[in-house]
Formats: sequence, C-alpha cells, structure tokens
Amino acid sequence: MNPLPSALWTEALKMRRSKVPFFITLGFSIAPLVGGLFMIIMKDPAAAKDMGLISAKAQLTTGSADWATFFEFLAQAVPMGGAILFAILTSWVFGREFADRTAKELLALPVSRSAILTAKFMLVLLHTLTTTLWIFGVGLVVGYLVDIPGFSVDLLRSKFLDIFGSALLTIALLPLVAFIASAGQGYMPAFGWTIFTVVLAQIAAVTGWGDWLPWSVPALFSGAAGPRADLLGWHSYLMVLLASGVGLFLTFRWWRYADQTR
Amino acid sequence: MSYAIETKDLSKYYGNFRALNKVNLNVRYGEIYGFLGLNGAGKTTAIRTMLGMIRPSEGQVRVLEQVIGPGGGGPWARVGHLVESPSAYPELTVRENLDIARRMQGLPDRRAVDGIIEKLALASYADRKAGTLSSGNFQRLGLARALLHQPELLILDEPANALDPAGIVEIRGLLLDLARDHGTTIFMSSHILAEVDLLADRIGIIHKGELVDELDAARLEELRERQLIVETRDVSKAREVLTEFAPLAVNGHLVLKDERAVKAPDQIATLLVTAGTPPTRLSVEQENLEEYFLKLTHSQDE
Repeated sequence: MNPLPSALWTEALKMRRSKVPFFITLGFSIAPLVGGLFMIIMKDPAAAKDMGLISAKAQLTTGSADWATFFEFLAQAVPMGGAILFAILTSWVFGREFADRTAKELLALPVSRSAILTAKFMLVLLHTLTTTLWIFGVGLVVGYLVDIPGFSVDLLRSKFLDIFGSALLTIALLPLVAFIASAGQGYMPAFGWTIFTVVLAQIAAVTGWGDWLPWSVPALFSGAAGPRADLLGWHSYLMVLLASGVGLFLTFRWWRYADQTR
Repeated sequence: MSYAIETKDLSKYYGNFRALNKVNLNVRYGEIYGFLGLNGAGKTTAIRTMLGMIRPSEGQVRVLEQVIGPGGGGPWARVGHLVESPSAYPELTVRENLDIARRMQGLPDRRAVDGIIEKLALASYADRKAGTLSSGNFQRLGLARALLHQPELLILDEPANALDPAGIVEIRGLLLDLARDHGTTIFMSSHILAEVDLLADRIGIIHKGELVDELDAARLEELRERQLIVETRDVSKAREVLTEFAPLAVNGHLVLKDERAVKAPDQIATLLVTAGTPPTRLSVEQENLEEYFLKLTHSQDE
C-alpha cells in the first residue's frame, strides 16, 4: 500500500467526519451574501432605509452598485477572511492531533511522518481552494439574483484572477500556522499567531511597508487598495514564497526531530 | 544474543533533570517483560524513546535489531504500541478509527478490522463514535489498534488501565495467548504489580530514571522473602514462647521471618500447643511484589 494515498485517505476521512471544515466554508459564505446586501442597499439607499435594512445614520449610501464594486468587495473579503478562516482550518488540521492526543499514533508507523504531513498540507490546499471557488460561485449567484448591472466576461476573468491570486497568496502563508500549531501543540498558539499577523499586516499596509511584509501582500494583490503593480514588486512575492518555504521547512523538521511528549 | 528490544546506556536529560540515566535493558524474543516503576520513574520516557518519539541524549535503542534513529524510521510494521492513555479521533466510529490504523499499517485486507473488533469484544460498539466510549472500551480500542496488524512485538504502557476486573482477566488471557501460542514479544509497563506478577517472564524495575533491577520471574520468586504468619488467642504468650525466632507482632498476629520457622511450621505449632496457646492459623506467605518493589526502591533512595 502506497504511503501517501493511505495518508491522504486518512486525512480526508478525518476532515469529512468533522464539522470544522464545513463550518469554515459555511462561515466564509457570508462574505458574498453580505456583498449582495450591500449591492441592494447601494442600488437604492432610500428604499433600503424604508425597509429597515439600514439606519438613518448609515454611511453605506455612497458607491456604485455594479459588478466591479461587488467583485472588489469579494477581493477584499477573501484575503481578509482567508487569513483568519484558512488559518483556523490549518491550526485545526495540525493542532487537533495534540488536542485529541492522537499525535503519538502518527509517529511510529510504516507510513512516514513526511507522508502524513504532505497529506495534511494537500488537504488544506484542496479545501481552501475549493472554498475560494465556492465563495466566487456563490458571489456569482448572489450578484445574478440581486441583478447587479455592469457584468462582462472580461471583468469576470480579471476579478477571478484577483480573487484567486490573493487566495493563493493567503494559502501560501499557512505553513507557518501549521508549524506553530505543531510546535505549540494545540490550536491556541496558532490562533494567537494569526491575530498577530492580521494586525501586523494592517499596520504594515498603512505605514507603507506592506510590500515587504508577506501577510500584507495578499490584500494588496487583490487590487482593493489600488493597482497592484504600484503596490507590490517581485520582492513582495519572494517574501511570500520565503515565508511559505520557511513554514514548510520548520513543520517537516519539527515533526521529524522534536521530542514528542504528548 | 539478539534481543527484541535492547537499550545501551540509554539516557535522556531535560536540563539537569535525568529522566533516564544509562538504562541497559534487554528484552528477549517471545518473553513478556514487565516494566515497573513509580509515577515519574521514567517508564513512559523509556517507551517513547523505544518508539522513536523522543531522541535519546546519549546511548542507543535497538528494536527488532534495528537502531531507532531520529525521524521516525523503524520496524513499525512489526511493532504494535499503546503509549500512555489511549487516544482516538472522537468524531470517528470505532470501526473508522481502526480502518485508519489499518491503512496506516499498510494492511490491504479490510477483514483485519472485523477480526480485531471481534477479538477485543468491541462488536456492539463498532459503529459508535469513539468520543462516546467508556474509558474501558476506549482502552480496548487502543489495544485493538496495537494488535490489529498482528505485530511481533507489542510495547504497551499500562495495558490494564481503566479496564474492569473482568476486562483485566480477559486482556491478561489475550496477552498470554499471544506470547505463549504466537510467540509475540510483549514489553509492558504497569503500576498494577499483581498484573505484572501474573504475566511477566522477566521484570525490570526503573527508579528515578535508572534500571535498578532486571531479573527473571523465577529469580524474583527466590528473592522474595517468605514469612510465617501465626495467629493465636494469646499473642503475648505466644511471642514469649517463640522469642528465639524473633517474632514481630503485626495487627494482632505474629510474623516470623526466621528461616527455621518458615521451613518448619509444624515445629512452631508443636511449641505453641505444648505451651498451652495453640495456633488458630499458621500460614507461610511470600512477600508480594509490592513489598519487594518498595523495599528495592527505598533502598535506592537511602
């Protein structure tokens, strides 16, 4: 029996039986629904006030209700929500082995620790990409139902690349979360790390250093803050790649060499 | 001579704390090796080191004649293990947990899971989520996972934990069957000394990270002190009569450790009857493993 397919089968079963991945996708689905709500409000703010959707004090009465704005909202939501929700998924996939005290069952097996880790990363990649596609798909349905004007195939293609690209950059930063969930032997250190990086990303973006900080790059890539060619350089992608590589290296190394006492 | 488990000067330090200190332990093929020690003595550290979960600070471990190095490599398809408390994925059923173990052991035959469920009397719980099991059945699930691939070597940390008396007897029978009829080598740690006493061919005693004794069960029998227990209606008079055997009054009866008394209880009875204080009970009892163990560990402390 080939070790990697066995490890993949095992990890997939664990994911299927748990509610965590499902609720992460479900929670993320709120993003396109909220986007749709905004579109309804922007289309006719007066009617929205009459319907009680917004209060008289609401700021959300400016902006255009079109597909470009709707996609921009999704492009902001994916790296922002992904940084938190995808990190929760990753910390669950790795940290659960310590919370459930099952890590010790993964260590002395004919299937190597590397194969198990590879399977975990592959499943995280698959689930996060599927979730991104799902959100995009839900967005299209919501946009169609709300009847937003200004749709074109070119716009769809360009915004799909923005959203999918920023999701990929967000996903590339997850190995560090996996490492912290492993070395921290549970979910909590990884949650703390995630909040720290989200805050740090905001500060770096505001102070103009976002192009150097890997955690700021996905949001800047999305185009929400302006054309990415002005905000990011090749060094920005290199930093993301570096953070990803360091995370993978540390995770594999930790599982291979660290004393496993839980 | 080759051993199923062999440690050479195995040491593990955490700063100044010596969790294991030059442990030299040999487990022969086909035997049941009982590994005894108080809490914190180093039993689990030793077991984790044998399974490649902890890297030794010094020394070496060989399992089934293969050196256990860092990174998890080892003859694990031939080894079953249960380390500390058993664990399982709580949202998965018993069968699914075992199916995961089957996959990870590279067993293509799905019937292996049914077989072990039957063997560990888990059939009525097979489709229940592991998280809802009682601690006894959870322990059975842990044992089932360890035994699933019919390993040559079983490394079990407290296998009788959480089992009810009937379960303990059942698992004892199962382990004896594996060792005697299938040639499985069993290394088991336990704090239930009576359990080890009933099962083990050899016993290793670890105390404060050091292997203070390693001996055959037969040798242990010889080493354990025997004593004659004397009960009579007049303990003080009986004590006077038996002065030359240095009797000790314990809980209303006399304990005689003198070898002459232990070997000839009939003569003690004659002496007591002649003195007009006949015994109501005479019994030669052997020091139990607990007493031997405590004596040994206390002598190490002094």
